[in-house]
Amino acid sequence: MSIITTSGLCKNYRRGSEVIHALRGVDLTIGAGEFVSITGPSGAGKTALLNLLGCLDTPTSGMLAINGVPIAMREEKDLVKIRREHIGFVFQQFFLIPTLTVAENVGLPLVFAGKPYDTVKIDRILREVGLSHRADHLPSQLSGGEMQRVAIGRALVNDPAILLADEPTGNLDSVTAEGIYATFEALNRQGLTLIIVTHNPVLAKRAGRIIALKDGQIDVLPVQECIPPPSGV
Amino acid sequence: MNLFTLATRNLQRRKGRTLLTIAGIAIAVAILFSLLSFSAGYEQQLTKEMDSFGFHLLAVPKGCPYEATTLILHGGVIPKYLTTGDLEQARAIPGVSAAAPMLLQQVIKDGAPHIVYGIDPATMLPLKPAWKVNGRFFTSNESRVMVIGSTLAEKEHLVPGSIIPFGPAGEPYTIVGVLEPTTGEDDNFHFLPLADAQRLFHKDGLITAIAIRADDVKDIPSISEKLEKIPDIQVVTMAQVTGTIMNLVGSARVLLFTVILIAIVISAAGITNTLLMSVHERTREIGMMKAIGASGYHIALLLLSETILITLMGGIIGIIAAIAGSGLCETFVRGIIPYAPAGSLAIFDPVLIVECLAFSILLGLLCGLYPAWRSARLSPMEAIRGAWE
Repeated sequence: MSIITTSGLCKNYRRGSEVIHALRGVDLTIGAGEFVSITGPSGAGKTALLNLLGCLDTPTSGMLAINGVPIAMREEKDLVKIRREHIGFVFQQFFLIPTLTVAENVGLPLVFAGKPYDTVKIDRILREVGLSHRADHLPSQLSGGEMQRVAIGRALVNDPAILLADEPTGNLDSVTAEGIYATFEALNRQGLTLIIVTHNPVLAKRAGRIIALKDGQIDVLPVQECIPPPSGV
Repeated sequence: MNLFTLATRNLQRRKGRTLLTIAGIAIAVAILFSLLSFSAGYEQQLTKEMDSFGFHLLAVPKGCPYEATTLILHGGVIPKYLTTGDLEQARAIPGVSAAAPMLLQQVIKDGAPHIVYGIDPATMLPLKPAWKVNGRFFTSNESRVMVIGSTLAEKEHLVPGSIIPFGPAGEPYTIVGVLEPTTGEDDNFHFLPLADAQRLFHKDGLITAIAIRADDVKDIPSISEKLEKIPDIQVVTMAQVTGTIMNLVGSARVLLFTVILIAIVISAAGITNTLLMSVHERTREIGMMKAIGASGYHIALLLLSETILITLMGGIIGIIAAIAGSGLCETFVRGIIPYAPAGSLAIFDPVLIVECLAFSILLGLLCGLYPAWRSARLSPMEAIRGAWE
């Protein structure tokens, strides 16, 4: 069963008078519980695709459906709801709140979702990512790998169906990156759909499927022209 | 954990900057609260003092401006006089229930001015029902006796029975009574029988003013009109005196309000700037929060909470500072305003405290609106990239 479907997905950006075609008609189907790596050179459109899949951005044209529900051209308030209920994010720079403890950082999405601050659940997630002993520490007291584990825990606390990670090991050494990937693999084995953008070909190969992007397209597919909407970008 | 916790923790990030912003608000609120407290207290004490005079009209020598009249009420001495003939004409006006003559003089003792009131107890005491005296009051035909105010007695260590040298020739005067505290200027005066004061200061047949009480307050305009027909007399109603004094201090108040307004505008600009800097520094973090489920409403609420926390803390500290420093402030205010009634000028009304705190919150809301609006409408993707515009 597919959890994400795209068809002719295009994204243009305007930089001054220049229009950047970040994605040029991406057709994609990702099944529930899949572990997918998105690779490609810089400027290939990896982050643009991830932003669209994570509802952080809206496509210029084309169709995107999550759990069979088309979400393209929806308003920001609808996108917030989808992000809150279906998607977890892990970023390269971790983006932890420096004045909140590890447990509070993990529990932050519960506050935004209007759910009770469930300390039992937070403790369980901290155990899953191996940070029970660090619950009351501040991010400044953690290593890079530990900070990324906190970010993973934070992404999991609202029980998302999809976890999106943008270069999650980009700031980590190879040993720490290996540990983070092991965590991802463990989560995938529990049924979580994982989509990870990475430059690292070794780590990319650990996914069940690799989607290679080049010049805004999936590498093996023919070029499609994107038609921007009347408003431009 | 909730948004309020997050807002509180966020304030701890740049402690120096937060404390400076709080200090700015505290200073503005302290000045505002002090001014409003003093303004309310001044008006209340002035009204109380005017009521304590016990009369409705004051007949003063013609050419005596209202400002000089206020000085008379406060124990000031003016170089013009009425006569006992004027007093008799005033007493003859229908509707006048009492007309009490006063002669005001000043003596210098140990380098300090002492105010002397020559009064006729038979006419003055009915106007001052609140006066209570330890010892006794003198009679009209006594001489070399006096009653003094409580503050003066305390300062000079005088009690009923004390004898002091008094007047230009240092004649021995017996203190026959000490007034119980009135919280008015009377606490500082020497009271002598009128005839004796006229003799002592060589002002035979002269009086400084006549305090007049009407049978009915409705008669005040007609009595005033008849008094004005007496050639030497100018009439001042207590309402006019109050109005004149309020006008005198009004200009100072306008100036202070202008200063406060400027202080508040500067503080508000400072807060808004601080917030804009703060959200600019946290653009990526705001993007992250949106990515993990925060809506624009959450972001706006977070920033407004931070702002209101800052301004509320500033407000509380400002009010505490204003109350703590009110004594010092009162000394300063008394030194610069032309007429200060007796009693404490500062009144710390709980309603005023609540109003000032509400003002702090409103200030926070106003200052936080623009940064909150800008942050709330940031695109999550753009924000994660660190793009503020």
